[in-house]
Amino acid sequence: MTTLTRQDLNFGQVVADILCEFLEVAIHLILYVREVYPSGIFQKRKKYNVPVQMSCHPELNQYIQDTLHCIKPLIEKNDAEKVVVVIMDKEHHPVERFVFEISQPPLLSISSDTLLSHVEQLLRAFILKISVCDAVLNSNPPGCSFTVLVHTRDAATRNMEKVQVIKDFPWIVADEQEVHMQEPRLIPLKTMTSDIVKMQLYVEERAQKT
Amino acid sequence: MDELYLDNIDEYVNDHNKIVTYKWLSLTLGVHVNAAKQMLYHYLDHKRKESSAQLHATYLVSGKFVDNGQTSHKVSVVREEQLEDFKAKMSLVVSVHVYSVQKALLKDSGPLYAVDYDAVKDNLKNCSRYSAIRCASAVPMSSVELQQAREVQQAPTPEPENKKAGMNGDTSPVLKSSAKPPKGIMGMFANKSAPKSQDNSKEMKPEKKEDAHDIEAPKSKPVAKVNPVANFFGTQTSKKPEKTVKEEEAPQSSSRAAQQHERSKPEEKQETVAPVEPQKDTKKDSRSKTKRLEDSDGEEEKMEKKKRRRIKKPEPDSSDEDVIPDSPQPVVTREPSSPSPKKEVEPDRHSHPSSSEMKIRKRRRVMKSHTFVDDDGCMVTEKGYVSESYSESEDDFKPSKQASRDPIKAKPSSSSKEDEKKTQKKASANSNKGTKQASIMGFFQKK
Repeated sequence: MTTLTRQDLNFGQVVADILCEFLEVAIHLILYVREVYPSGIFQKRKKYNVPVQMSCHPELNQYIQDTLHCIKPLIEKNDAEKVVVVIMDKEHHPVERFVFEISQPPLLSISSDTLLSHVEQLLRAFILKISVCDAVLNSNPPGCSFTVLVHTRDAATRNMEKVQVIKDFPWIVADEQEVHMQEPRLIPLKTMTSDIVKMQLYVEERAQKT
Repeated sequence: MDELYLDNIDEYVNDHNKIVTYKWLSLTLGVHVNAAKQMLYHYLDHKRKESSAQLHATYLVSGKFVDNGQTSHKVSVVREEQLEDFKAKMSLVVSVHVYSVQKALLKDSGPLYAVDYDAVKDNLKNCSRYSAIRCASAVPMSSVELQQAREVQQAPTPEPENKKAGMNGDTSPVLKSSAKPPKGIMGMFANKSAPKSQDNSKEMKPEKKEDAHDIEAPKSKPVAKVNPVANFFGTQTSKKPEKTVKEEEAPQSSSRAAQQHERSKPEEKQETVAPVEPQKDTKKDSRSKTKRLEDSDGEEEKMEKKKRRRIKKPEPDSSDEDVIPDSPQPVVTREPSSPSPKKEVEPDRHSHPSSSEMKIRKRRRVMKSHTFVDDDGCMVTEKGYVSESYSESEDDFKPSKQASRDPIKAKPSSSSKEDEKKTQKKASANSNKGTKQASIMGFFQKK
């Protein structure tokens, strides 16, 4: 039984790694379930001991990986407040927003040997909830695209702009048009609380999609 | 049976938006699986009559199936829409019952497994408590028997793997619709032949599903266009830590054969890298060995030339100080070479004197212990490898050089350094021992 605090950089990286892995799987699953891309490009893979759908398209995978690679340092420092996967219609108006609210307790302490398996169980529940979310959501219009937004605390993005984490993969401040959604309807999906991270997933949906 | 269960199921399905499988229901409510199946059926019936919310259901069908004259027993989970169709294809339907009820239209069978996973995991020791399958001789093994079984199991593990692959091939699952589109789109990514379209089929047993999935996955994976070298060292954390040994063993042959076959999984890449790297290493080793021999041969000639130079130089050194800086240079260049090919040099040296005698000068490294009284009147014993010139024509040269060289050459092991500095003034030019401090000697010599 070890007690590690946030100052222990390795532990912060561990949490960031876990979250980024989860977000990658979640984004792929959202793209599959909401039919943003044809289901033919997806392939069944295993994560957290359950089957999940992951895309095989190399450029899409690279884009998602680069995105999360840039987000990881923000999560490490607990600067990322929300990670939002926005699905937009042809006119680039957001239609759905999957919001992952992440918060990490300031003083972390691992007091349980089964912590990671417990976290795995909670993340598995998230995956399951995303799989069935289309029961509570209206179907999207055809020709949708997606993007990932990160809401950060304070002015953490200033540092991001100074240091280009990945070359030719710049992050820019989001347009108001992409952030604001008309008449949003809030549908909560899942909440999890654990020793290392608290996460909440909800969907904001536009009342009229077409 | 009271009607509360209908409300329970209603709550799970509509309020929590859960997928309710019969297995999960039986474990949650603590009822026999057959009772759970009936509950789901009643609930579905009830709701359909009310025609309220839209519900979807999956069914488990098992029966005899005749395929090209071969009869097999097939167990499948099918969607409600395909149920009648499927039943019609079977020659004999043994059992049909509701597998799950949910609000969402499931696109694939993954969530069905996920639902049962946690429920079974929580009740691992008695997950068959409510099951209808019974076997009197199926009793948990004692710890002694368990150990024995493990030892036996380690030997024939490769065999069952192959058998499993065979099994999965025999029980060909029912192909659902949309078998063709995946081939078309996957074919765009894959360099090899299109994958089998077994992903869309639903198989009953979760274990079988997983095995098939594990073994199918590498075959059906398309070639990624990402640079494989970058992926080896990429920051991809192991996404599939659970990817079992099964998968690694099965496609071993394919991974070796297609080393250029770019795989997106880092673990498998490491697998392919691992067999490649040892091969490369052995090649490198053999190369480096041959290089060493070549280098040592070259060094011998160099040493001879430098020897000749040194013999001539001491005379101008004593008179002219400008020449002195040149002397360390042949020493410096020797330094890195002399420590390394010790062993190669020695046998060569020893072999040569027998053949060539008078004209060829050789150097030999000998461990010598030399005791002498220095200028201060202190006894100094110095040990060290001394490369002494060995040549019959130069015998008279030897002793004078030896006496002057020993203190310098034994420097690394000696304790008193001041003595060496003084003696170096005369002997630095003669020093052919490779130590880095020889260059420092030249620095002090300028005084």
